[in-house]
Amino acid sequence: MQIAVRKLAKAYGFRWALRDLNLELQPGDFVALLGPNGAGKTTFLKLLAGLIEPTQGSILFDGAVLRSSDAVRRRQVGLLVPADHLYDHLTVQENLKFFAALYGKSDASEQVERALAEIDLLERRADFVADLSSGMRCRLSIAKWQMLDPGLLLLDEPYGVLDGPGIDMLEAFLIGHCTRGNIVIMASHHVARALKLCSRAIILHRGHLTFNEPRQDPWPGFDAAFGDFLPHGESWRS
Amino acid sequence: MPGPKKKRRGILGALALIAIAIGLYWGLVVAPPDAYQGEVQRIMYLHLPSILTAYLSYFLVFIGSGMYLWKREKRDDLLAHSAAEIGVLFTALTIAEGSIWGRPTWGVWWTWDARLTLTAILLLIYTGYLMMRSLIEDQSRAAVAGAVLGIIGFLDIPLIHMSVYWWRTLHQPPSILRPDKAPWENIHPSMLTALAISFVGFLLLYFYLLSLRYRLGEMREEIKTRRLERSA
Amino acid sequence: MALLSQTVLLLRKDILLELRRRESLLTMFFFGTLLLFVFHFSFDLPPDRVATMAPALLWLAFLFTGTLGLAQLFQAERENHCLDALLLSPLDRGALFLAKTLFNFILMFLVEIIVIPLFWMLFNLSSWNLLPRLFLVTLLGTVGFCVLGTILSAVTLRARARELLLPLVLFPLMIPVILATIRCMETVMRIGEFGDALPWLRLLIGFDVIFLTLGVLIFDWVIEA
Repeated sequence: MQIAVRKLAKAYGFRWALRDLNLELQPGDFVALLGPNGAGKTTFLKLLAGLIEPTQGSILFDGAVLRSSDAVRRRQVGLLVPADHLYDHLTVQENLKFFAALYGKSDASEQVERALAEIDLLERRADFVADLSSGMRCRLSIAKWQMLDPGLLLLDEPYGVLDGPGIDMLEAFLIGHCTRGNIVIMASHHVARALKLCSRAIILHRGHLTFNEPRQDPWPGFDAAFGDFLPHGESWRS
Repeated sequence: MPGPKKKRRGILGALALIAIAIGLYWGLVVAPPDAYQGEVQRIMYLHLPSILTAYLSYFLVFIGSGMYLWKREKRDDLLAHSAAEIGVLFTALTIAEGSIWGRPTWGVWWTWDARLTLTAILLLIYTGYLMMRSLIEDQSRAAVAGAVLGIIGFLDIPLIHMSVYWWRTLHQPPSILRPDKAPWENIHPSMLTALAISFVGFLLLYFYLLSLRYRLGEMREEIKTRRLERSA
Repeated sequence: MALLSQTVLLLRKDILLELRRRESLLTMFFFGTLLLFVFHFSFDLPPDRVATMAPALLWLAFLFTGTLGLAQLFQAERENHCLDALLLSPLDRGALFLAKTLFNFILMFLVEIIVIPLFWMLFNLSSWNLLPRLFLVTLLGTVGFCVLGTILSAVTLRARARELLLPLVLFPLMIPVILATIRCMETVMRIGEFGDALPWLRLLIGFDVIFLTLGVLIFDWVIEA
């Protein structure tokens, strides 16, 4: 799947959240979406997911706009928000089965089992999501999207709640996902990890795209662009 | 921007005023009093045009709502919202006029006569429309909500009409306008003329007020756009 | 057909959640019964007036009960932004509309199945063989309520004072249903069959069909993340 973002802009009331965004993505791209708070990262992800409508410009998936009635394309887009998009009073297993059925995968019991095993939640399959910690919920979301396998996977700050093993699981999943020809766009404040995984980094600042380069090593351009956004006296190489 | 549009509005307003003045003169002075109801019948020259323009308004709300859901152009939503506001105004006017007529005729300020009931329900629906729009913060969500209500409301009107009329006619004798004869057979020609002129006047007044309200909405949009441009 | 299977999927999820959370059905049931009792003792109806007034009171009790259900209708989707998850998916929005309408309908149906016999006993009405027809009328009216209610519930999701706004906007639109159900009920209680209330019955069915169709067609444009 090819993605083209053309002159994308979004305004909320009297304020522009995003302005004049242009971007082209190819299969296999892993994009690190970086920038300070309020830069417009979440807005951009929601626009890509088709949850909100742009004020100006367009996003094209293989040349066509994503419509709410376009089931085929919708199946190809996933959004991972760490603790959300799960039903509190359904069990771990029921949630996965529900979403599998929603995305047209009938009789997914085996896939559900496998997904749960991979993120190490198999023995908690009958627990309500409300009883899980936020880290576990994030793992469940990872399992969900692993099962649904979208062509474009968007992630909004997944590192925040994950522990060490969780991070390993996430990164293994994301790298594998890209290798299979899908696109990943991940918004994160964990710059070092994001840069290690990505094939391209973009920086949003006050709604504008201020930096867009494929990964290099060393990366003086990135150092220069990102320098202002770091806590005082720190480097992003942790 | 001021200029030709403002002038056209001004002319519209002036014409409306003239037409209403002529209509009032015709209705109050030239036309004879009603054979059965006497002088109080003259309020019909205001009452009938009021309710007809109110219905026109709701039709425009329907059109604006439908167009907005289809094309999502702000001007269609503005038309719907403006028409709803002016429509509520004219409906309230109709009810007030009906009440004024009712007091000397039936002895009461209000009764659940079919027509009055219907008008009251319309007032409730479209006041609800305005309230709903003001209670939804996000402007585009408010517009969608309004559009949905505008369509549902209009489609419901014939159903409400039927149910209220059936409800009432099973309980009371037919109302004042003799249904067995066509309305115009009862009416003296100069009364018809007065009615026609009044109607034209109200129509002009309606479009004048609508254009004012629409212009207000346009200006608000313009302010929003300019503030947006400046914050870029 | 995808629409039907998706509707069933969502409906089962909602029923499962309701069985676990128990936040709608019990409250609706108790509220409906409470209203019935309050109406009974506050309106001291002589026996000859009962047949004329009782249907109106019954239907009024159902309207308010149903409004409780409507306010809760999208509650599960409001938590954890699950509505976003649904809209993100290849879900047909018409299925979401049908599922929610059906869900509210089932809740009201369960309440009505208890309250109508209760009402019959409380108001000392005769001939139990009239109950099926009464029930039919109630169900048709409930469909109309649920259809319009779901559309308006979805459209006012983010409105302030939502619990007040919903009935304010819904009730005037429901007038044809209210009048039709009362007139049909009253006729059935008076002469044991629909008789000259048949036009009312047709009006009721027409209302249901029109707005059910509208709901399915329009819901795509109505629901937003």
